[in-house]
This record gives sequence, C-alpha cells and structure tokens, in this order.
Amino acid sequence: MTPLKKRQTVTGYLFSLPWIAYFLVFMLYPLILAFKISFQKVSVTQPHKAEFVGFGNWVKVAADPVFWKSVFNVIYNQSIFISLLFVISLGLALLLKEVTKGGAIFRTLYFLPVITSVTVAIAVFIVLLGVNGPVQQLLVSIGILDKPTDWMITKWWAMPIVAIFNSWKWFAIQMIIFLGGLMTINPEIYEAAEIDGAGWWQRFWNVTIPQLKPQIVFVSTMNIINGMQMFTESLMFFGSSGGPYKAGMTPVLYLYKTGFNDMDMGYASSIGLFLMLIIVVLTTVQWKIMNRNETKA
Amino acid sequence: MTRKQKSKVLVYLVLALCSIVVAYPFVFMLLNSFKTGQDIINSPYGLPHVWTVQGYVKVIQELNLGVMFKNSIIIALSVTGLNVGLNAMVAYAMSKLEFPGRGLLFSVIVGSMMVPVVLLMIPTYSMYYNWGWINNFIVVILPAGLSAYNIFLVRQFMITIPNELLEASRLDGSGEFRTFWSIVLPLSMPVLSTVAILAFMGSWNDLINPLLYLEDRSKFTLQLGIYSIRTEIPGQNVDQLWAGLAITTVPVAIVFFFLQRYFVRAFTGIGLK
Repeated sequence: MTPLKKRQTVTGYLFSLPWIAYFLVFMLYPLILAFKISFQKVSVTQPHKAEFVGFGNWVKVAADPVFWKSVFNVIYNQSIFISLLFVISLGLALLLKEVTKGGAIFRTLYFLPVITSVTVAIAVFIVLLGVNGPVQQLLVSIGILDKPTDWMITKWWAMPIVAIFNSWKWFAIQMIIFLGGLMTINPEIYEAAEIDGAGWWQRFWNVTIPQLKPQIVFVSTMNIINGMQMFTESLMFFGSSGGPYKAGMTPVLYLYKTGFNDMDMGYASSIGLFLMLIIVVLTTVQWKIMNRNETKA
Repeated sequence: MTRKQKSKVLVYLVLALCSIVVAYPFVFMLLNSFKTGQDIINSPYGLPHVWTVQGYVKVIQELNLGVMFKNSIIIALSVTGLNVGLNAMVAYAMSKLEFPGRGLLFSVIVGSMMVPVVLLMIPTYSMYYNWGWINNFIVVILPAGLSAYNIFLVRQFMITIPNELLEASRLDGSGEFRTFWSIVLPLSMPVLSTVAILAFMGSWNDLINPLLYLEDRSKFTLQLGIYSIRTEIPGQNVDQLWAGLAITTVPVAIVFFFLQRYFVRAFTGIGLK
C-alpha cells in the first residue's frame, strides 16, 4: 500500500465512524431488540417481567381489525391527499408560470404553511374547521352544507379533512417542484403543438403531463413513504384513541397507543415491524414500476 | 381590455384568492393572540375589542414558555450543528476518500433510508430508559444528529467538487482533515445550508420525540408545551394558547422571510442536482 492509500483508508474509516456508530446503536440494535420484544409479552414499566409468547403477537396483528382499519385509513387519506395536492400544486404552478410581476411574493406567502409546525397549524385549524368555525359557516351560507357538523366524530370525514389540511400545509413544495419542471419544458414543443391545431387541454394532456413525468414520480414516492407514517396529525385532531369510529387511527398512532397508553410493548413492536414490512413491499413495488417506466422512456 | 389582459387579471385573482386561504389562519392566530380570554370565547373571528398582550405575559410567566423557548433553541441548534458536521464528514468519506468497504457502507446508508425510525420507538424507548436518557436533552439531540438522507444530499454535491483541488492541497502537504476543513467544507456551503435548514426545522417542529422522552415540565419544548396546553386545560387559558402559538411560529417565520431562497431550495431539493 502506498502511504497515500493507507492514509486515505484510515481517514476514510475515521470519517465514516459517526455513521457506523449511529447505524449500530440507533438502527440495527433497536431493530434486533424489536424482533426480540415482538415475541414477548412485556410492559414498559416492568421490563424484567417479560414473558415469551412465540408468534402470538404477530398472529394477533395480522387478525387485528383496528390495525387493518388504520392501514386502510392512511391509504384512504393518501388517495385523497395525493389527488388534491396534484391538482392544487400543478394548477398554481401553471398560473405562476404565466405571471411575470409579483410571482416571488406569492411563492413566499404560499411557503408559510410549510415552515409552520403541524402542532401549531392543527391547533388553529381545529377552531377554524369546528362546528362554529367560519369555514363551515361559509359552506352553509353558500348552500354546500346543510348544517355544521362535528366532523371529528363522524365515520368517514376524518381522513378527507386531514387530507385537506395536509394539502394546505404542503402544496407549496410540490408547486415549486412542478414550476421548476415547467420552466425546463422547451417552448418550441408548445408552438409545434399549437401549429398542429392542439387546443389548451390537448397541449396540457399531451405535452405538459408527459414532460413533467420525472417530477410526478418523485413527489408520489415522497408522499407514499411519508403518508404511511402519519402520526402528529391524527394525535392532534383525534387524540390517541383515533376518534369514536377509529376513523382517525393511523398505524403509527396505534403503535404509540398500544405501547405507551396500554403498556403492551410486545404487541406494539409487532405492529411496528409489520408496518415496516408493508412499507418495504410498497417501496419495492414502486421502484419496480419507476424503473419500468424509465426503461420505456 | 384584450383577451390576454383579461386572462392575466383572472390569473392574479386566483393567486390572490389562494393567498387569502393560505394567510387567513395566520392572521386569525395573530389577532386572537392579542385578545383577552373572554373576547376569544365570545367573538373568536373578529378584531380584538381591546388589544392586549396579557396572553403573552401570562403564557411566559405562568406556563414558563420562555424556558420552553430556550429548550427548543438549545435542542434545535445542537441538532443542526451535529447534522452539518457529522453528515459532511461521512459524505466526504463517501465521495472523496478511497477505502475498502466504501461501496458496501454506502449501500447500507442508502438502504437504511427505507427503515422508518419512528417505527422503532418501542425498542429505542426501552434502550433510552435503561441508559437513563429519559428527561435528558441528549435523547432528542444525539439520535437526530445524523441522517442518511442528508449524507446522500451532501455526497451528491461533494462528488461535483473537482479532484484536482484536493490533489493540489494534498501535494501542498495538507492532511486529509485539513483538506476537508479548508477546501471541501467551504465549497460545500450551499448544500450544508440546506442540511442546516432541514435539521433545524425538523427538530424545532418535532412533537413525537419530545412527547415520548421529555416528561419533566422544565424540559418541555415549545411543541410539547403547545400540545400539553391544548390537552390539559381544554377551554381554559385560551388567551395563553393563542399567544403560545404565535410565539412558536413568528420567530421561524421572520428567519424564513430573510432566508427564503435557502428555505425554498432546502425543501424542494431544487438546485442540488
């Protein structure tokens, strides 16, 4: 080995040391511990009284209606959120592209919800969207709603409302990503389409959407991974029980409630590992689809 | 007016309407924070009948929001410092140092992004409990001090730094650490500012970790304070709640207005490729 190579090897390991330590202590070891705990019946306060229960917890998760309800809830939430976010952010990006003066002011303003904490924003939204809140009053006065409802305790409205809230909170990020994508589209493609007699809708459908494909794939990947881990929104809106019909329950909230309210760590660990499995499968499937699209394009 | 002018007016109208939807909750929050408790309950949606800073005074004196603010600052700044320093170190090793096992190590970093750390909160809780980390700031600082995503971001950036610069420095007799410190770090400032913003915002806005690990009121962060004001005393102390919400939001918003270019770049990942 040359001295330079030797020196690089030593510094290489030295500089990687923080990650190696972090990975071993905060990821690998807890992961092994989670596996161990998931085969036990053990309480947070009495860890020494652990009792081996075999696959008991795993079988229980697979058959637990609340767990599957919580998985359904995040999928329900994400379907609405992703569609809504797509329409809002692409719509505003298209408008902002047309604007020459004042665009920066709008962009700055639209970014405010992104930097606000979820905790604070939800505290405000609970009042604004409440039974006596201005939003429901407005909807009643223009005839969209018959009468104000306490949607937090309804069977189906919990997740759509959270999706609307999250769209308000996060649309700016996706809008800027789309705007960046729109700016790179060659205007000649639009001109050619216009000469061919394509109307606005046809140009949008046949030029804009295909050209934005990389951005669309990117944001949908981000949305799915984040969406499966939704926690703070549900805890703030519905409390750790997830509301009367479990309409606001999410897998991570269920894990939190099981482990720290019901003190059943073994079962909570199984929920966590089960959910991780679902996320890994989903991400792999998505990568497969993405790669297929890339080879096509 | 021509058709083009008309459509331009329409565009501005829609953008302005959306601005109202975006800004209204903030205006609503600020107005309520200057009302008396009675005023908030009786007329939450109007202007304050009497402008008062009573809510601010009470929330700082009675609920110790000042201490929570200080805690949040200490934690968020520590997390930011660790993230900038440590992620840059690892990213440097991953991009500019040749050593056996580097490829494997990098695949572990990328692969670990798929493991949602939040799902490991049961085993980590019992770990920290056994180590006596509960109620210690270290529990919300150290585990947040590194991130695979940030290492990846910084590595992608450092790859673009020309090797000739590093070789020139090495020929001058500088050690690897000196090369890293005086050449690579200054050149990586754009991506490190992104890491700093993401780390600071993530820590400042975090609820789940303080909620799990910081039980002592004197250790509360702002987010945890807001959460507990809301759950412990519903209906009461509304003036303190609204003042607390404003105190949590306004400083970050002010920093954002000054550094908005960096914020937008940090959150959208634009300009990093």
